[in-house]
Amino acid sequence: MDKPFKLLIIDDDEHVLATLYDFLRDKKYDVVSASDGLDGLKFIESDKQGFDLVITDLVMPQISGMSLISIIKKKFPGTPVIAITGWGEYPGAFAIESQADKVLSKPFELSELDKAIKELISSKKHKIQD
Amino acid sequence: MATPLIGTSESIERIRELIYHVADTGLHVIITGESGVGKEVVAQNLYDKSPRKDNPFIKVNCAALPDGLLESELFGFERGAFTGADRKKRGKFELAHKGVIFLDEIGDMSLSLQSKLLHVLQDGEFAPLGSEKEVRTDAWVIAATNQELEQKVKKGLFREDLYYRLNTIKIYIAPLRNRPEDIPLLIDYYIEKYFSQFDKKRIPKPDPDAMEKLMAYSWPGNVRELQNVLKTSMVIGDWEEIIHDLYLKNQSATARRTEELALKGASIVDVLLDFKGDYSSDQASFSLKKVTKKATDRIEKEVISFVLDKTGWNRTNASKILKISYKTILYKINDLKIKRHNE
Repeated sequence: MDKPFKLLIIDDDEHVLATLYDFLRDKKYDVVSASDGLDGLKFIESDKQGFDLVITDLVMPQISGMSLISIIKKKFPGTPVIAITGWGEYPGAFAIESQADKVLSKPFELSELDKAIKELISSKKHKIQD
Repeated sequence: MATPLIGTSESIERIRELIYHVADTGLHVIITGESGVGKEVVAQNLYDKSPRKDNPFIKVNCAALPDGLLESELFGFERGAFTGADRKKRGKFELAHKGVIFLDEIGDMSLSLQSKLLHVLQDGEFAPLGSEKEVRTDAWVIAATNQELEQKVKKGLFREDLYYRLNTIKIYIAPLRNRPEDIPLLIDYYIEKYFSQFDKKRIPKPDPDAMEKLMAYSWPGNVRELQNVLKTSMVIGDWEEIIHDLYLKNQSATARRTEELALKGASIVDVLLDFKGDYSSDQASFSLKKVTKKATDRIEKEVISFVLDKTGWNRTNASKILKISYKTILYKINDLKIKRHNE
């Protein structure tokens, strides 16, 4: 059996985090969750195998999602990132500027998230094969 | 070398971690916290741990200068740009190229300057006054404020796009009263610092009883107030007298508040039922259980607050009088948002 894909989800809203965690576990992903940007960054920097994909909220205390995406894209350029946002136009625009691979505005369908994850991981695999 | 970050509280430990993880990213930072908590110290520590540490660290206080002057300070001007501009002047953004520009009190910046700052943050360039040519800058912006920028955004006093642009990394420094465990370490640090700074004059170290009182004091002026108290102690040399003065200030504020409350004279039933508020009897949220909880909280808050005032906010003594554990009193202070009356 193939090893499950490893995802990191970061959101300071406990409820959203729990919902995403349960949903993605049901979809048989290996999921790690963090409740703020700093803890998320610590997971990314300390995880030897690396994550197949990161899903992050944008407006969070301390390290925002926008910063996190910039850091990931600089230090771990091959890792796709999905940004989720519920706060006006600016965070989403800055996330695209920080090179988020996909921005989902809250509320979104969980199936939409699953579809985005599958597309990004498959395109990452193709890039590696090429 | 920057002043080190002193303390072992969770707030300070978290800031150390943040500095460690973001100092090499060059992402803009905003530092928030009450006056006197040490925002500049955090900015200098970021700079010190960054690859930019050998380049300039330029500080600008945005509240200290009138708008026009601040603009020319930040962006510079060409010769003849305005009456009296008899020579060209380079702005702080240009001087801070490859280094850090620390914009203190950013909440006081005018909207017109905010838009110019946004342009620099977005495009890395700006035009000095009287110049048509844009100057490029690679300055790392670390901003600081003691104001609630979210509120200023809502009131239209701070640009929302600039707020999000700056708010990428936010470092909040808790006030000293919320991290009393840092107070003895700060006192030790400054006693040593002032010893070497002021002709080897030794500040007497507070005894355990004085230290307990210093830890229980609310420090509205935060670390800056603590520094001033330590400098005063070099002259006065008597901790008992210094603490007495500190608490005297506190007590007069308490007395004023008690009078205000007596004047209001609101009935407890009016307050508890709060007919215009969340507990209004025609609302679905109303229940006897909620009213009872509110009543208990109110009484607990008043009693604990009263005992804390009587003991000069000595939490150990207050917990003994109330027959609750030290841990419980700390929890109650936090949960019931019990504050010293001079805050």
